[in-house]
Amino acid sequence: MIERALPGAKVEVVDETGTGDHLRATVSAPQFAGLSRVEQHRLVKAAVQERMNDGSIHALSVKATPAEPADPVT
Amino acid sequence: MADAELRDKIEELIRENPVLLFMKGTPDAPRCGFSMRVVQTLGELNVEFGAVDVLPALEPLREATGEISDWRTFPQLYVNGELVGGADIVEEMFASGELAELLGVEQPEGVDATSDADADQRPSGQSPPLQIEN
Repeated sequence: MIERALPGAKVEVVDETGTGDHLRATVSAPQFAGLSRVEQHRLVKAAVQERMNDGSIHALSVKATPAEPADPVT
Repeated sequence: MADAELRDKIEELIRENPVLLFMKGTPDAPRCGFSMRVVQTLGELNVEFGAVDVLPALEPLREATGEISDWRTFPQLYVNGELVGGADIVEEMFASGELAELLGVEQPEGVDATSDADADQRPSGQSPPLQIEN
């Protein structure tokens, strides 16, 4: 869901408790450049808002970092 | 549409408390891991803060803060009238020293974002949780 909302983002989601409702998302997206932490987190949360609203995500931890649009693979 | 009276009350609390935390539970008895982490972080900086337990009015408060700050999850920390963010942002800023700077306090020595060695630390002179009538 995050990748759809933020094309070009690198996203990693980890299930913290094994029950699918406590997630940790590490997101690196070009769209984050120049945004404050609060705004970066808002973007990620907006992408998964539906699942937060219906309760299937109970807790979401977000680690957001800006990324270059064309990250060279090293 | 959030209740106008509730919104006004929240905006008043944000204005009147230099540091204000909307959390689940109370600083002495947090009811969620994220809320506990923010309380501990503020404790490490020895900062006094106002605390609002959102559990008695969770949905109305989500609506109200959603309208005020476009942020509907708790915990939520406000400093000097501005939203700082939730537990993740608070911890990142604590580890980088930004939070101490924002609060005008000294950064503790040997701060490690992943350390929980000081879990027993409590803020001194902590004021009791603020009540919101719903």
